[in-house]
Amino acid sequence: MSLSRSPSPHPAGAGWSSPGLTPGSGASTPHSGFLTPNPLGASGISWAAAKAKSDEVRGYPSFSTRNSGFFSRSRRQLSATLPRFRLGSGSPNGYVDKDEFGRGRQAPAGWRLGLGRTLLRRRRSRLLVVLIFCLLGYLFFGASIIQNYRRSPLGGGRKFVIILESNIEGGVMEWKGAREWAVERNSVWNKNHYAEQWGYEVEVVNMLAKKRYSHEWRESWEKVDLIRETMRKHPDAEWFWWLDLNTWIMEYSYSLQEHLFNRLDEIIYRDINAYNPLNISHPPTDEYLDEVSRSPNGDGDASSVHLLLSQDCGGFNLGSFFIRRSLWSDRLLDSWWDPVMYEQKHMEWEHKEQDALEYLYATQPWVRNQVGFLPQRYINSFPQGACGDENDPTVHYQEDERDFLVNMAGCQFGRDCWGEMYQYREYSNLLNRTWWERMKDKLNGVYERFFPGEEKVEEEEQQIQ
Amino acid sequence: MQFALPPRRTPIAPPYARSSRFSLQRRKQLKAVAILGLALLTVFFLLSQLFYTSTGTPAVPAGTASVVIVTVLDRAGFSDDYIQKIVKNREDYAKRHGYTNFFANVSDYETALDDAPKSWAVVPAVRHAMASHPYSKYFFHLDAHSLIMNPGKSLESHVLEKSRLESLMQKDVSIVPPDSIIKTFSHLQAEDVDLVITNDEEDMCPGSFILRQGDFAKYFLDFWFDPLYLSYNFAKAETHVLDHIVQWHPTILARLALVPQRIINSYSKDSSGAAVDGVYKDGDFVIRFLGCDTDTKRSCEKELEPYYRLWAGKLKNE
Repeated sequence: MSLSRSPSPHPAGAGWSSPGLTPGSGASTPHSGFLTPNPLGASGISWAAAKAKSDEVRGYPSFSTRNSGFFSRSRRQLSATLPRFRLGSGSPNGYVDKDEFGRGRQAPAGWRLGLGRTLLRRRRSRLLVVLIFCLLGYLFFGASIIQNYRRSPLGGGRKFVIILESNIEGGVMEWKGAREWAVERNSVWNKNHYAEQWGYEVEVVNMLAKKRYSHEWRESWEKVDLIRETMRKHPDAEWFWWLDLNTWIMEYSYSLQEHLFNRLDEIIYRDINAYNPLNISHPPTDEYLDEVSRSPNGDGDASSVHLLLSQDCGGFNLGSFFIRRSLWSDRLLDSWWDPVMYEQKHMEWEHKEQDALEYLYATQPWVRNQVGFLPQRYINSFPQGACGDENDPTVHYQEDERDFLVNMAGCQFGRDCWGEMYQYREYSNLLNRTWWERMKDKLNGVYERFFPGEEKVEEEEQQIQ
Repeated sequence: MQFALPPRRTPIAPPYARSSRFSLQRRKQLKAVAILGLALLTVFFLLSQLFYTSTGTPAVPAGTASVVIVTVLDRAGFSDDYIQKIVKNREDYAKRHGYTNFFANVSDYETALDDAPKSWAVVPAVRHAMASHPYSKYFFHLDAHSLIMNPGKSLESHVLEKSRLESLMQKDVSIVPPDSIIKTFSHLQAEDVDLVITNDEEDMCPGSFILRQGDFAKYFLDFWFDPLYLSYNFAKAETHVLDHIVQWHPTILARLALVPQRIINSYSKDSSGAAVDGVYKDGDFVIRFLGCDTDTKRSCEKELEPYYRLWAGKLKNE
């Protein structure tokens, strides 16, 4: 037992209770030492003694830690390599003392050549090891570190929640076939994959047919309730991105912040006359309204936008839109469905909640100032076949411009949802190959040119019949 | 041999260590840099604060009235003499407390009303008052067929002060009498209130309410005035729509304080439908002659006359 200093007296033991010096002080042992030579147990250490010892170890003034930290070890070296400032404090009247200036650099030549070189060499090799470790760490953990950072409150990813509808009209109303399952599985994977990269949350909501949303009740208004529910579930999030199931995020490398929210004032339009398929008269002209309500651009401040959506050829499109948590949004979600309006309009409102929103926008001036429109292809490109068959650059997905998202709107009416989704999934993968995959593909191409004959059967088989 | 501490290395500094004089200078430099940096940060902080406040809420111009009294007059339907009495009554009250009056004409909103009953003009009138007095905080709508009988009471002390409102607010009470299942929120705080209103025996009373300027007011008025409500043929027009939206839309109910009827909405004894303890008693703030304009057997001018004299007499005595 080697102790650097004598142990302190311990109150419980009433004496020197160090096991090494006094095994079994009289005060703590009622028995005589004769019958039980070691009354403290086999190890001969009382609890008090052990505690005192461990206290000591913890409080031990260890062998000088002065030079063991990285910073303290290299502080001098670091500060020597810093640029030097002369702020006039050292030399009044502009006089420079030649002896003083640069004195630290005038080291003896012997040090520079002999001792310094070995030192430097040792440091350099250490640095190399550290660098290699950093590189390996980055290769293995870099992605997850970045993702975790984005998910953290600092990274800003928590501000966004993707709400993805699923299980449309599912349940007993309609059995889902293999194609419906494939659409659902792939679409959910796509949103999860995107959100994981940027630290967003995905909330897959169930659009199962329910009586309380059936006709004469409030058909298709589950969207409103689900948004409210999701807002309650994610109290930290600010923006909620509703996505229909038949959508595909093409570019995983676009973050919502960079793609949209950091430059809202450049890309949105508030004056609906810029693109107005519904011919909504804008701005409202009633004399009793305030100035902001009567101006075509509202208050012109992008931070007052609480609903961000795009229009397609038929008007508002709610297949992909953003709504921000706010009092205004609460009010909109609350007024979106009203029995008196619904009773009068449900035969006309073919697109239900979408038409109702258009109606609110058209008739109630309080709505307009908080609505911002994005050109459609920012968040909601259509495949050809939706909104016209020929390629329209304001509406349809443009391959060479790397559009963010494709919404296969209306594919369930006479088009092939899974076929379209499969095609866009493959195209997205092709566009977002890594350099390694690109190289492999090139080699494959070369190989196939020299050894033709193998059919691409596999790929066709993959498509679910 | 055990040592308390490991033996120190030789205290002699290695030859390549810098002299203490140099490190003193370096320390001075670092200190100067630190002070400079701190000063810069402070300046930036102060500047940002300065700019933040300058772009914040716009300053209220001097002389802005805190309360605007909104009265919708039907100049075509009533004699000039009658209208003048109402105007005088409001102007006297406004002068006493430094409020502003906003007199609107039903005819101004005819295009917006379309074929809907004239009583709907309340809604665009209040919106209009807010647009023309953007810095005033409260808007007190009082139906034309009514008199302010106790002008000594200011709206602030009578209704709007926080502690007063807190004591007046009726919590967990059926919003539309007698037995609506929708009740006023029991956790409502006075500072969240944007709308102070009463109900009588049957309905909410849009004839007398106080609305705070802001986003809620725009939402509430625009939603209330939706064309689909105007065209729906509710029996009591805007009154029934108010009943409807208050019960169906919690975002409105959450901002609404229901106060006892006689606080801002006493009915004359000829008016039907007063709530329990809703009939005018001497000393009440206002008296309303509800229905005198729609009931062909009644005459607003006749009913108003005795109360107008009473009010004018009080005025002289002061």
